[in-house]
Amino acid sequence: MTAQVGELFAAARTDSGLLKAGLHVEQVAALAYAAAADGPLQGEERAQALRFAEHERRHAAAFETMLFALTVPVEARAGAEHLDAMLPGLRRAGRREALEQLAGLEGAAIAGHQIMGRRMRALDALRTVAAVMAGGAQHLVVLRRALGASALTKTYETGA
Amino acid sequence: MVALSRRRFLGAAGALAGALVAGCGAEEAAEAPPSDADVLAGLLRHEQALVTAPAGDTAAARAVRDQDRRHVGRLTRALSERGGAAGAPPAGDPASVPARKQQAVFVHVEALPRLSDPELRVLVMQIAASEAAHLAALRLAAGEEPVPDAFAGFTEAGAA
Repeated sequence: MTAQVGELFAAARTDSGLLKAGLHVEQVAALAYAAAADGPLQGEERAQALRFAEHERRHAAAFETMLFALTVPVEARAGAEHLDAMLPGLRRAGRREALEQLAGLEGAAIAGHQIMGRRMRALDALRTVAAVMAGGAQHLVVLRRALGASALTKTYETGA
Repeated sequence: MVALSRRRFLGAAGALAGALVAGCGAEEAAEAPPSDADVLAGLLRHEQALVTAPAGDTAAARAVRDQDRRHVGRLTRALSERGGAAGAPPAGDPASVPARKQQAVFVHVEALPRLSDPELRVLVMQIAASEAAHLAALRLAAGEEPVPDAFAGFTEAGAA
């Protein structure tokens, strides 16, 4: 899954391509948190997943707005088939596996955003990309704690 | 200090849309752009302030301060590589730790379009993500909602 996200960003050759990759990953992340809330996660973790799903929808909306600014139409929207391709088995996963998959997706998205930081030409767009990335880094802290990680933060958050 | 209010978050990218389409405004174009060393020097002052300010003695606070010290070291090295030199650490900042951390996220994100070196942009994104993660970890340690905003503080609406 991480590799799949990385390939999406790596294959993008233009700003619009990078933004489309970012949009797709955020849309899949919204579906992923919703799916985790529908199955593997319970109680407060389920409630948190629903909040994070809403965050991801907002992130996706920010990417859409940037694409509109470049006059790039957004035709495709990620669906269940994309979620199943990127996070196979999430719906049937146990709690820990679901949390690990979500953390992996957040990390891969952060790494992708940093590829955008290196390659985008419209530098003003990086403020929004980085605000999305920072939100993802905060999600990652919550997921790491739920997974019992000894270190919740990293000196240089690369998503890895 | 860069005055960056939360409301300046690109209006869920609305303001960005204009920037992407129009490029720099006439006023901005008339000013000489800051060098990467200038931008780094400003970021370094913020990180130095995080290290020198009182932050408590909890495990979370110690971990955060250790990572902030490493940020200072890395930024100092990057500045030195570009012919700059670190100034004296700023005087104690009376703001609370979360407020300082939030400001750190803002200034790192705001700096991105002003950095010409792509690798520096990636470094600053990694530090911005780390600062955002610190904020979430400190909130968790305080028993607060760790991620009240989808964009790490750039919108006031939060995760309603």
